[in-house]
Amino acid sequence: MKNKIDKILEKILVLLMAIMVLNVLWQVASRFLLNSPSGFTDELAGFLLIWVGLIGSGYATGQGLHMAIDILPKSLEGARFLWVMRFIHFSVALFALLVMIIGGSNLVYVTLELEQLSSALQLPMGYVYLAVPLSGILMIYYSIYYLIFTESNGSN
Amino acid sequence: MAVTEILLLVASFLLLLAIGVPIAVSIGLSTALTLMVSIPAMPALTTIAQRMATGLDSFALLAIPFFILSGQLMNRGGIARRLVDFAKVLVGSLPGGLAFVNIIACMFFGAISGSAAAAASAIGGFMTPRMEKEGYDKGFGAAVNLTSATIGLVIPPSNILIVYSLASGGVSIAALFLAGYVPGIILGVGLMMVSGAIAFKRRYKTGEWVGIKAGARKLLDAIPSLFLLVIVIGGIVAGFFTATEASAIAVLYTIVLTFIYKELKVAELPSVLLDTVKTTAIIMLLIGTSMGMSWVMAYENIPQEVSNFLVTLSDNPIVILLIINLILLFVGVFMDMTPAVLIFTPIFLPVVTALGMDPIHFGIVMVLNLCIGLCTPPVGSVLFVGCSVAGVSLQKVLKPLIPLFAVMILVLMLVTYIPELSLWLPGVFDL
Repeated sequence: MKNKIDKILEKILVLLMAIMVLNVLWQVASRFLLNSPSGFTDELAGFLLIWVGLIGSGYATGQGLHMAIDILPKSLEGARFLWVMRFIHFSVALFALLVMIIGGSNLVYVTLELEQLSSALQLPMGYVYLAVPLSGILMIYYSIYYLIFTESNGSN
Repeated sequence: MAVTEILLLVASFLLLLAIGVPIAVSIGLSTALTLMVSIPAMPALTTIAQRMATGLDSFALLAIPFFILSGQLMNRGGIARRLVDFAKVLVGSLPGGLAFVNIIACMFFGAISGSAAAAASAIGGFMTPRMEKEGYDKGFGAAVNLTSATIGLVIPPSNILIVYSLASGGVSIAALFLAGYVPGIILGVGLMMVSGAIAFKRRYKTGEWVGIKAGARKLLDAIPSLFLLVIVIGGIVAGFFTATEASAIAVLYTIVLTFIYKELKVAELPSVLLDTVKTTAIIMLLIGTSMGMSWVMAYENIPQEVSNFLVTLSDNPIVILLIINLILLFVGVFMDMTPAVLIFTPIFLPVVTALGMDPIHFGIVMVLNLCIGLCTPPVGSVLFVGCSVAGVSLQKVLKPLIPLFAVMILVLMLVTYIPELSLWLPGVFDL
């Protein structure tokens, strides 16, 4: 299950990253070669960055990539190590739940309610902000995965 | 009372950090807890989520993944090797030659890639076996490599200067980029002097001069790689394109170059893109949560309180700048550079501008200062990369690091108290 989700996310993220590069290259090209600056690339770039940054953060949680000071967990063994690891995964899940899922969903709800549209693409901003709760769901999934993993594998 | 909130914010952040919770999550969670004490939970959480999302919605920030991507491409595509060879022609035959080669190559590579960790791993990967072969102490080699890798953060293009531009409310990226050259070169020369002296004392071998013909060939070999700097910096300074557009052009240029060098296959591109996404995501979550923390600090009036407090300590600009530098050195030891810049710029910038300091100058001082923290335990990301690429333990690197730190601090003091070092070059270009 985790591997499957990892693989799907990798495909999506690589695609978004490639679009990001092409988008800005198009912006430069349209200005210099076609002499008519494209109106939407600027805005699209920002939206793509939100999605790559946040969905990527969810993915990075699953890969255990987020930077941390690991002096304490590394110095412990057995039950104490387990408790520290539980606390760390729990903190990530708590952050994801409070800020990203609860706060993020409300943000999406409020922006959709206000019918706030982006200026160039006329895209409802609520859809752009959807990356926040989605990223939160990924983070929770991965931290619960690691919590269960920690329980079943003991102190190894 | 703001004091309770400040204490809660700082204490919960440090506690989470010490336990080993990821830095970005520590920032986000302590921020959420603090704001929930001041205002009802729902608006508090929504505001932080909003700060995270809108904080990332920035065309300027997009330069960061692109410079990371071009750095990744260079890492795989033989550009690092050409720069090392070029540096070897320049300084390889001096006493302590290999240390010089490492520093110069790091300056070029760090400048081109805009990432200290990338420079430390790419150049360190090449230099470690060569240094070992010529009898250099492994710890010394790693220490030289990782300190000089940070120079690329000051010499443009530099991702962290883009972050500073954002945090300072839009100081010109072109001006910041130009301002970094002189301090960066001074730091490079300083590191060369100390490592040269150490290499001389230990009687390390000096490399042989390759001869004019081979030298010229290596020089020609490196020109396409170095030309990237001309396009990027020249284009930004001349106003042809923004930093973000320049970074996208850098990506295109390095892709073409690595294909010409036949060191990258099309099938490998997705894995390079994925590596870039990973690094980007880590930085973006840090930026998002730091934006949240910075907002909460402003909401709790913390910048004003800190400013009032600093003024009670002294009214002498020299002393205040010294205090700010000491605080930042301390912060840099515990915090990664990106959140440190985002969180502390809004706090200190009003204080120093009130003293008459130019925001461009302060940006360079801040980045130079935080570079030192990148090389110290426990959070020094460049330190860890440098150690792992050299295959040497932390303990063996710490002692040779001390004289190099001394140089970094000396240069920091020079740059802090001589504004012209930063402001002269932007002035020449009227920025």
